Amino acid sequence: MEIRGVHIEDTFAEAFGMRAARVIITGRTEKWALAAATKLTGFATSVIACKCEAAIERLLTPDETPDARPGVAVLLFAMDSEGLAKRLTERIGQTVLTCPTASCFDGLPGATDRVNAGRALRVFGDRLQISKVVDGIRYWRVPVMEGECLLQESFGLHKKGVAGGNFLILANSDAAALAAAEAAVAAIDGTPGVILPFPGGVVRSGSKVGARGYKGMIASTNDAYCPTVRPLTETALPEGVNAVLEIVLDGLSPEAISGAMRVGIDAACRPGVHAISAGNYGGELGPYHFHLRTVMA
Amino acid sequence: MSEVVSLTLRAPLDRRVDADGLTPDRCASLTEAQIAALPILISGQVAAVGDLFDVKGSSAAMLEFEGDLSLVDGLGAGMISGELVVRGDAGDDVGRAMAGGTIRIRGNAGHRLGGPSPGASKGMIGGEIVVDGNAGDDAAARVRRGLVVVGGSAGVSAGRAMIAGTLVVFGAVGDHPAEGNKRGSLIALRDIRVPASYRYACTYEPPFVRLLMTHLARRYRLAVDERARDGLYKRYCGDAAGPGKGEILVLVPPT
Repeated sequence: MEIRGVHIEDTFAEAFGMRAARVIITGRTEKWALAAATKLTGFATSVIACKCEAAIERLLTPDETPDARPGVAVLLFAMDSEGLAKRLTERIGQTVLTCPTASCFDGLPGATDRVNAGRALRVFGDRLQISKVVDGIRYWRVPVMEGECLLQESFGLHKKGVAGGNFLILANSDAAALAAAEAAVAAIDGTPGVILPFPGGVVRSGSKVGARGYKGMIASTNDAYCPTVRPLTETALPEGVNAVLEIVLDGLSPEAISGAMRVGIDAACRPGVHAISAGNYGGELGPYHFHLRTVMA
Repeated sequence: MSEVVSLTLRAPLDRRVDADGLTPDRCASLTEAQIAALPILISGQVAAVGDLFDVKGSSAAMLEFEGDLSLVDGLGAGMISGELVVRGDAGDDVGRAMAGGTIRIRGNAGHRLGGPSPGASKGMIGGEIVVDGNAGDDAAARVRRGLVVVGGSAGVSAGRAMIAGTLVVFGAVGDHPAEGNKRGSLIALRDIRVPASYRYACTYEPPFVRLLMTHLARRYRLAVDERARDGLYKRYCGDAAGPGKGEILVLVPPT
């Protein structure tokens, strides 16, 4: 298969099931909503070392938020329910509670499984906090030096999140790879239910499981796709490829990831790009397989 | 099965009626005939709903009354879920000891809105009551949880001995507001006489009030002006006679 002269390899991305939450952060202005959201999603690129993966899903207009202020929707993924609860409590506590004017609401109101992150944080109020129920939803008003921080008590726990959707952009130069990756990120940006947890939505250090040279490593560089060691390893790079960048996608459903991969790959098929590939572990580790040629069919 | 069970008053009332128990959650599983046969008290005498109202619809969790029900007491009393709407005035004890669901009174309501059953320590323990017009005395007395909104004015002793919950009054509030309040919130959009047993805390923009006003505008289409949503409120903590964790929030008028 080729798209505008770019070869689509006959392979698949292998992804995993994760627990997910959507957090709505609002602020007096978009600047302050983003300030909290940026911090909340900081250092959350990979569960391997960050314990969760998180990023901004999209900006929200005042008519989309519970308190009619500018807002940001954030998606956060973790390996299990307990981990998700811990990460939410830590991150909301350190980044929303602390941020001037910011409030925090659940973005998955239909989810029956709940995580009581706001309830855990209420004790910061040292028994001076106030509970309020509006439209059947409980909120906590925690006194802070600025006035009050408003936090929703519970957050929906989505048990069918998917993490690790991906595709690789094989290009003839690092500049061409970056331009294609930026185009893919721009195309995916704002897709409902999907985030790109890595810096700028792009990964340069794709990994393989374990390491050949060191014991105990969980992951090490994906040398098969590293151009500088092409003669020293069993390379997967076709002739003429001098740089590879990866787009990693987490989503609330396989369909959301598949749709985002489709628009991202299409945008990445541009001059200087040799081929699109994907990362997998042979298909035996992750239950979700996104075959590139099926996605792009 | 229908979306709404509508009860239209056949003729103007000249005696007090007690509609205790005529709730949407109860009607949700009843036929039209069964609803018309439900008991209702007219001056203490047992009668049937169908004696006073034309009943249309069945098995719906929304109950809609038409007519001047200012002599009908106990509308929505003990309600636990569903939606009750009165297109007109309602009598006393609307939402007495209710536990859930929503009540919307398009006109005025009588005394003891959302209050307790006689002798009980707690008023409503959940749900929301929105009155477009005025409310009588003792609105939201002893409320334990839930939201009571009065679009017009409220009589004396509004929010008396609130345990928790929220009372919002858009218009004037009578004397002795929220006396004996433990942890409840009285939000007043006009100036009120704050009892001496409350202590001033600060003037600020409460994020909860913004959320609440947004909810009232979106869910009930109440005419909430931006100042009520975005404006500054004076916070008073009280009642000092009790735990003192209640509050009166008073919207600061424009200068």
